[in-house]
Amino acid sequence: MWSENEKNILNIILDQLIPKNSKRNIPSAGELGIASFIFDAANKNNNLKDDVVFILDWALTKADKISPCLVRKLEKENPNAFVSLLTETYKGYYSRPDIRQKFGLSKKPVHPSGYLVVSESNDYLAQITDTVRARGPIYRDPTGG
Amino acid sequence: MSNEPVDVLIIGAGASGAAIAWSLIETKMRILCLEQGNHLSDKDFPSRRDDYELSRYAEFSCDPNVRRLKQDYPINSKDSCITPVNWNGVGGSTMNFLAHWPRMRPSDFRTKTLDGVAEDWPVDYYDLEPFYEINDRNVGVSGLSGNPAYPKYSVPNPPIPIGILGQTLAKGFNKLGWHWWPSDVAILSKDDNGRQKCVNAGTCDLGCAAGAKGGANFTYWPILENAGVELRTNARVSEIQVDKVSGLANGVLYYGADGRLNQQKAEIIIMACNGVGTPRLLLNSKSDLFPEGLANNSGLVGKNLMFHPLTGVAGVFDEPMKGHEGPMACSILSQEFYESDSSRGFIRGYGLHSGRSTTPMTFALGGYGIDNPIPWGDEHREIMDNMYPYLAGLTIVTEDLPEEHNCVTLDNELKDSDGIPAPKITYRVSENTKAMIKHGEERAREVLIAAGAKKILSKNDDNVWWRAGWHQMGTCRMGHDPKKSVVNGWGRSHDVKNLFIVDGSIFVTAGAVNPTSTIQALALYIGDQIKKNIGTLFD
Ligand SMILES: Cc1cc2nc3c(=O)[nH]c(=O)nc-3n(C[C@H](O)[C@H](O)[C@H](O)COP(=O)(O)OP(=O)(O)OC[C@H]3O[C@@H](n4cnc5c(N)ncnc54)[C@H](O)[C@@H]3O)c2cc1C
Ligand code: SF4
Repeated sequence: MWSENEKNILNIILDQLIPKNSKRNIPSAGELGIASFIFDAANKNNNLKDDVVFILDWALTKADKISPCLVRKLEKENPNAFVSLLTETYKGYYSRPDIRQKFGLSKKPVHPSGYLVVSESNDYLAQITDTVRARGPIYRDPTGG
Repeated sequence: MSNEPVDVLIIGAGASGAAIAWSLIETKMRILCLEQGNHLSDKDFPSRRDDYELSRYAEFSCDPNVRRLKQDYPINSKDSCITPVNWNGVGGSTMNFLAHWPRMRPSDFRTKTLDGVAEDWPVDYYDLEPFYEINDRNVGVSGLSGNPAYPKYSVPNPPIPIGILGQTLAKGFNKLGWHWWPSDVAILSKDDNGRQKCVNAGTCDLGCAAGAKGGANFTYWPILENAGVELRTNARVSEIQVDKVSGLANGVLYYGADGRLNQQKAEIIIMACNGVGTPRLLLNSKSDLFPEGLANNSGLVGKNLMFHPLTGVAGVFDEPMKGHEGPMACSILSQEFYESDSSRGFIRGYGLHSGRSTTPMTFALGGYGIDNPIPWGDEHREIMDNMYPYLAGLTIVTEDLPEEHNCVTLDNELKDSDGIPAPKITYRVSENTKAMIKHGEERAREVLIAAGAKKILSKNDDNVWWRAGWHQMGTCRMGHDPKKSVVNGWGRSHDVKNLFIVDGSIFVTAGAVNPTSTIQALALYIGDQIKKNIGTLFD
């Protein structure tokens, strides 16, 4: 039900919301085509659909002029619709395994392997808690124990 | 399905329902548990899916108003600055809880005597101590023994790694000479009895597919079902019935999976529906004998609702803090500001908790349970690329004192899928708590800077976290005086002698620690008292 044109325009807006980081080779939200994720979500959620339709109506007339300034105006004038789009954009973008990986997380689902975190040795724990233990008990005991 | 009368009927298969069922197994009584939700296996948990994080904002949200599953009841929180969060199913909220496992401290049970506020509990730390110990073993707790914030006790398993994040913050606390300690957690640091040790996946709120987390679904329920405790799922109790002549509870009405109303008779009824579900059910159980709701002669059912209001402060460090690795709730806990000190301008105190498992998605969306997206555009890139990986944070978890105006009542319009009235929450944060939060934010900044943070991020507003309603306490409190409490010193209703309550609603005060180790220890204590008093139980 969403046209190719709507998809392109939404991706242009998304590029403003999450721009790319060329140095670290992290793509923008539009480059990753997060618009498709948002359309899928909107097809299952009428409130989101209303917000996306509203934003697209607003954007269709400004397609090639969309700038941070203009998006800022949209945010100011229509905060609820804007937050709803922003939230969905973050969800679509950061749920991608390739983006997760750019931030040091596993590309794979976290179970079963998880992450290797080395246990602190007993000696290390004894040493780092030494000053805390040295102060003695810090609780009040009304019953006298 | 047999609806023959049973000896013991437990309502709710969560933390407290499971613990008391375990305590009562040895009595050989016929025990039935009715649970409104279903039984999920680890295969149903989302953390083996590529897009696992999305479930946090959908069917695995901690907020029933977001999940909207059939077994969930909606909650009207319009008159509250905190909304209750939970899980409705076998394991209860320990399905999605974060398993931070501090005990309450001796002074928590004596706030009236020590500080002139609230009421003293009818039990004390030492009454519960043996049950904390039994429960810690049953659940599989990990931690470092010797914490000077408590009377001596030993933790069954070695600690979960505190990681670079915990080590860094610990140095800050040490520099200031303030208390901190590796957190006790209901999470296995060693494989145990078919349960895998923690793999540091950081999805504790999504069920823990490793089985490392000590949710009642993994710990108590397999034993209970083996021992013949009957668990009837998709069974939502709408009302507890009383015998007009004896005044005793004699059974319940419940909706089954097919939507039909059933009756179940029982000799003893134990409520374990949590601090919101239990008052809701009592208030909905009106009769000629109890026109204001069952067991409510004191008028206190639903009153004195306590949460643990909280907020957070984070610091940006030079090194990556690997905040996504490790269990979510806990790395280290400082109780430096736990006990009252009149010079601080408030009574009672708070803890500084270091949370983990902030992923790019949870962070971008404002933090776990917050839903307030961070800035977009170039600022977004700057925050995500140059701050997010280097963050370590502290949450300020405050003690909430009981106040009657903070309460659970029944909503006149909102209903669950079986037509039972939904709970309505009326709640505001007290001036005392606000002062604690302010004090805590300032101290958290000091620690973060002492630990080497180059920049501090905080919210700059007075709001507490909206979805911080994970601890629900006080709404049917225990006490010796029937005019000032709903149940007696071992969980029995003052008004209905065969009705017990074992969940967080019987807390008299909230302490400033996560409550579940105390909820389960209390449930085991009540089970023990039932066994000791079995001959005179209804006198
Ligand atoms: C996201 C999250 C994080 C948390 N983190 C921590 C933590 O780190 N540490 C900690 O100590 N605590 C934590 N908690 C709180 C902890 O989960 C609860 O304290 C604990 O589960 C409460 O136990 P309970 O037995 O009172 O209730 P629950 O465990 O909530 O069990 C209540 C059960 O009763 C059932 N029920 C309710 N009404 C009915 C009815 N009418 N008919 C049939 N069944 C019914 C429910 O479906 C549910 O299964 C967290 C909670 C959440 C939601
Ligand atoms: S971090 Fe540990 S406890 Fe949490 S989900 Fe992963 S394995 Fe389970």
